[in-house]
Amino acid sequence: MTSEERLEELRQLFMEAPESASTRVIAIVLSLLLVAAVLWLVRRRTLREEYTPIWMAVALGIAALSLVPPLLGWLTRAVGAWTPSSTLFFFGELFLLAICLNYAVRLSGLTLQIKNLAQELAVLRGELEEARALRGGERPER
Amino acid sequence: MKTVVVPAFQEEARLPAVLTALATAAPDFRVVVVDDGSRDATGAVARAAGATVLRHPFNLGYGAALQTGYKWALRAGATLVVQMDADGQHDPAELNALAAPVLAGELDLAIGSRFLGAGDYEMGGLQRAGRNFFRALLSAFGLRVTDPTSGFQAMNRAVLELYASDMFPSDFPDVDVLLCAHRHGLRVGERPVRMRKSPRASTLHAGLAPIYYVYKMLLAVWAASSTDRRRREGA
Repeated sequence: MTSEERLEELRQLFMEAPESASTRVIAIVLSLLLVAAVLWLVRRRTLREEYTPIWMAVALGIAALSLVPPLLGWLTRAVGAWTPSSTLFFFGELFLLAICLNYAVRLSGLTLQIKNLAQELAVLRGELEEARALRGGERPER
Repeated sequence: MKTVVVPAFQEEARLPAVLTALATAAPDFRVVVVDDGSRDATGAVARAAGATVLRHPFNLGYGAALQTGYKWALRAGATLVVQMDADGQHDPAELNALAAPVLAGELDLAIGSRFLGAGDYEMGGLQRAGRNFFRALLSAFGLRVTDPTSGFQAMNRAVLELYASDMFPSDFPDVDVLLCAHRHGLRVGERPVRMRKSPRASTLHAGLAPIYYVYKMLLAVWAASSTDRRRREGA
């Protein structure tokens, strides 16, 4: 047996090793917890509805992968990874990277909006004080 | 209406002298102090000196403070805006000379340059290298400016309208903004001014800040040059 064949056999072993039941249970519980956390945060008005679909999708993804084991095996072969767990880590990190970038973009938009609002406020207050001063009588505040 | 915009952050000590000098040197200018969320009496001393005070509810940065002044001036119908710093670095006596080319319609934007013979402003080696680099960068775009970081500028409404838009940065509006004005077809030029060294310990010359500054400027210049092209093609 050449070393390449041995490697291929080893890889097959890795791929076919049955997922331990406890891992699957933990994953399913985790996805349920995630859904529950999202719902709870929405109810408390801490999380806005429009930010939830992505986390619901994540929970669904985790649940699907643990309920249908061949799915992860197929994905692992597709990306050329050795073990299902490294496939999970790979996509997990990719997802975190993407969502962080997405939040940075949203933050940039918010920063601009807040700046514009603060400027508008300063200008309006300036105009108001001026109008009051012109009208005489009332003293501008402060 | 002619307006002077003075962005000020924690300048209660130095601002009164600047405003007094301004009242003497440029009595026909409306003075607007933008208090960038100071925790001291900056706003109060400015008001006492007769200036219009625009106060940010929190600190937004030098560029944002300038822009608030531009926005106010646009709405108040200003035809000319001169911006100068609150720390006494710029001499109000030179304000009229700087504003002259804009009033005469020769320039849209006049930059007060330290490096055109007037005064003897000195720079450190690294600072000079940076300035030369940005000078070269600007001239690659066909814009000859000796002092792209000067905060002493005079402008007309065409510039104000551009500067009031969202492209204007909140921190340091320098090379990128000049380039943007140039690429919008505005006439940018310089006039010699004397400048004193800023009495503030500059935050731009310590630690990693200069590296970030150069990085940010390059990125902003690249964004400014590519955005304009896209806008032109779309138009």
